[in-house]
Amino acid sequence: MTVNKRKKPASVNPIKIGQSLGAVLALQGCYRAMPLIHGSQGCSAFPKALLTRHFREPIAVQTSALQEMDVIFDANRNLEEALNIVLSKHRPDIIGIVGTELTDVAGVDYVTMLKSYKRERNLRGGLAFSVVLPDFRGSLESGFSATVEAMMDELIQQVGHRGSRTVNTRQITLLPGSFLTPADVMELKEMISAFGFEVIAVPDISTSLSGHLLTGFSPLTRGGVPLDSMLQSLQSGLTIAVGASMERPARRLHNALGTPYKVFSGAMGLKASDELLHFLHQISGEPVPLRYCWQRENLLDSMLDAHFQFAGMSAVAALEPDHLYSVSGWLEELGVEQKALISSFETPVVDGMEREVWVGDLDDAEVLGKGADLWISNSHGISGAARIGAAFMPAGFPVWNELGAYMSVSVGYRGAMEWSNKAGNLLMQREAGHRESSIRHR
Amino acid sequence: MDPVRKVDFDSEACGSQAPKSKPCPRPKPGEAAGGCSFDGAQITLLPIMDAAHLVHGPIACAGNSWESRGTLSSGPSLSQYGFATDLNDSDIIFGGEKKLKESIDYIAGRFAPPAIFVYSTCVTALIGEDMDAVCKEAGDRLGIPVVPVNSPGFVGSKNLGNRLAGDALLQYVIGTGDPEPEIPLGVNLIGEYNIAGEMWDIEKLMNSAGISVTSRITGDARYKEITWAHHAKVNMVVCSRALLGLAREMEAKYGIPFFEGSFYGAKETTYSLRQMAYLMNDREMERRVDRLTEREESRLAQDLRPYRKMLKGKKAVLYTGGVKSWSVISALKELGVQVVGVGTNKSTEDDVRRIADRVGDDTEYIPEGGASRILKTVRERKADIMIAGGRNMYVAMKEQIPFIDINQERHKAYAGYEGLLRLAKELTYSLANPVWRLAASPAPWDKGVPYDR
Repeated sequence: MTVNKRKKPASVNPIKIGQSLGAVLALQGCYRAMPLIHGSQGCSAFPKALLTRHFREPIAVQTSALQEMDVIFDANRNLEEALNIVLSKHRPDIIGIVGTELTDVAGVDYVTMLKSYKRERNLRGGLAFSVVLPDFRGSLESGFSATVEAMMDELIQQVGHRGSRTVNTRQITLLPGSFLTPADVMELKEMISAFGFEVIAVPDISTSLSGHLLTGFSPLTRGGVPLDSMLQSLQSGLTIAVGASMERPARRLHNALGTPYKVFSGAMGLKASDELLHFLHQISGEPVPLRYCWQRENLLDSMLDAHFQFAGMSAVAALEPDHLYSVSGWLEELGVEQKALISSFETPVVDGMEREVWVGDLDDAEVLGKGADLWISNSHGISGAARIGAAFMPAGFPVWNELGAYMSVSVGYRGAMEWSNKAGNLLMQREAGHRESSIRHR
Repeated sequence: MDPVRKVDFDSEACGSQAPKSKPCPRPKPGEAAGGCSFDGAQITLLPIMDAAHLVHGPIACAGNSWESRGTLSSGPSLSQYGFATDLNDSDIIFGGEKKLKESIDYIAGRFAPPAIFVYSTCVTALIGEDMDAVCKEAGDRLGIPVVPVNSPGFVGSKNLGNRLAGDALLQYVIGTGDPEPEIPLGVNLIGEYNIAGEMWDIEKLMNSAGISVTSRITGDARYKEITWAHHAKVNMVVCSRALLGLAREMEAKYGIPFFEGSFYGAKETTYSLRQMAYLMNDREMERRVDRLTEREESRLAQDLRPYRKMLKGKKAVLYTGGVKSWSVISALKELGVQVVGVGTNKSTEDDVRRIADRVGDDTEYIPEGGASRILKTVRERKADIMIAGGRNMYVAMKEQIPFIDINQERHKAYAGYEGLLRLAKELTYSLANPVWRLAASPAPWDKGVPYDR
């Protein structure tokens, strides 16, 4: 409907996160990868600390460690040094060079530099690409999808264009959006493969950030989609993108290789899950597996159980655009009034939403969401939720006040049920708290 | 123990205030770990809890970093707000000074803070924003201090940022106010950040000995109390690497004697309290300190007994920075834990000397970061536990090594006598946890023994 912005000069309690962090996240979903942030030390230290805190996993990332003089004289000298060290010490399969606002404003041309570096060193067998991600545009979501797009471009370049491939119609490339947790990606992979497809998720954080002890520590990413699977994914008969932000990489595959694609803006809630399963049923010709029929029943039953809890309740949600879209649809199904929806930045998805959306920060959530019963945002929102007296439900990135947030499922019937129960429980606890305090104060 | 003034610090070391100080080592591309100067400046100043902290730059510097530290407040929480000018492309092209000015006005109008700290970032430094002028103009107009902190990320390491923040305090804050009459003058605590509430334990101890804290620089601080820091009788530098220069400058300018000390371990704590009383030049206070420390130490010895039995002979690798690199060694030694490896990448030469005084000859020094390097030491020296910062926590988990978080994100206070007991408990709980045994044993079907029951 409309996208608004409150008039204030400063950002107060931002939900926006640097695009480069999105790039680092995307690369964590690739096996033996190393994101290399072209910027000053902090440009990699902050994302590393924040991602570590959210996923409770070691995070692979390196920096070109730019200093003042490097920026003035030759920032690429640092990048070359960093590349030399990373290549000789860790031998990654994939290197993603992530430009920051610092290199962007200083006008550093590392795209050409990387090209000649690759030529000179005769880099073969690996994948090295660069992506320009200044932090004064977009947020985590755009950084993530732009990185996947750049990665796809590089893959396509390595393999060659249309005609040079054999299409495997039983294979599907899944492009999961940045708002999906490792458990979500796992769930989506299972749903698609339940219809007899082979699925290659790019990137695949479900096998890298979901927690495993198998291989011990490595400075590179552990788990994730290996490079040869990524190359093999170019032969898929179909691309499924989840999250509108992933349409662009899907379109790249379509333009270069002719792979048809289908975008699901989200997969959360009854309707969205119905749509996804119906689609899979149709293209596979297979019946919907019994377990999903059961899960559908379970979801509807739990929604009935919870509707007493949700009746008359209102919510405020402050999330990344695609995530906000999904959560808004889910709230709709529960009959919860949506007091305010706040997005980190503007995208076609939020433009097209039927509700009023604000581009803003957590301070806006506090002002616009006054009186709301439920607050949905990342962990930065805890104090704001407390100030307006709303039950706080952590979602998005980063979440540090709850164990296992990265393993929580939101997609499919199972995810919708998990979320509904969680939100309902929070509201129930809040109600109990109110009752208790009213007794105490009599 | 006869307290001695420490004057033999190394003024040449990186992090000192001396004009000819040698530059901090350049971070190595592709191998650098740890934060930038902007990060460092925030570490020092964010614990001024009632002030507003505004980051002038694109969103990532503020958006990726706010609420990342375990520094606690006993009251105001404005410093936990994330403020950013959030520059976009056109601000970069046409200049962000106007937005900065408006942001300062907005924050002053809506939150009425006692002061606003404004941080420059790489981009605003690069495009040549005249932050100092904007801050000065706004400060004059609004009638509150607006302090520019010129510590963009690319000038260097986190330590340099701590130092630049200290410079800002010297230049704009310290010496601009006078204490309220009822406030007794005593000691400034410099470089104590109230991680997990450590400052509160320390203050309780000091107060029991009749020593009062004049200014907290900057754990759980209020802006006002730092303005009168120059009236204190003694400065104690808790984290020496970064803010030693601040103490040195205050000695030169206001004649306040200082010493470097720590509160990690009973011995260090006792030494620090004694040193305070000694420099206050108050015999009665010294006697009180003696009585207090004696009582606390003997009570602690009693309380520690069961844990010491568990911890005796255990080996630890310690990877942390600054003051903790040596002072935690003392604490561990008191618990009977042997330090077999120690990180020195963030230590001054003086710190290293102190480390050397405290560890045996066969302790390995780990000069450069990198998780693999730490792990190597843990494996080679057969260490039982790793003690480091949150960044390395999950590295240890992956290798199934017991771990204690000693850095700024942690939730446990380890300072003072109480803190040492807490550390002993944490070490014991971590080492004795059943999870290590469970994680090390394979699934039953992988053991190759047939199921026959």
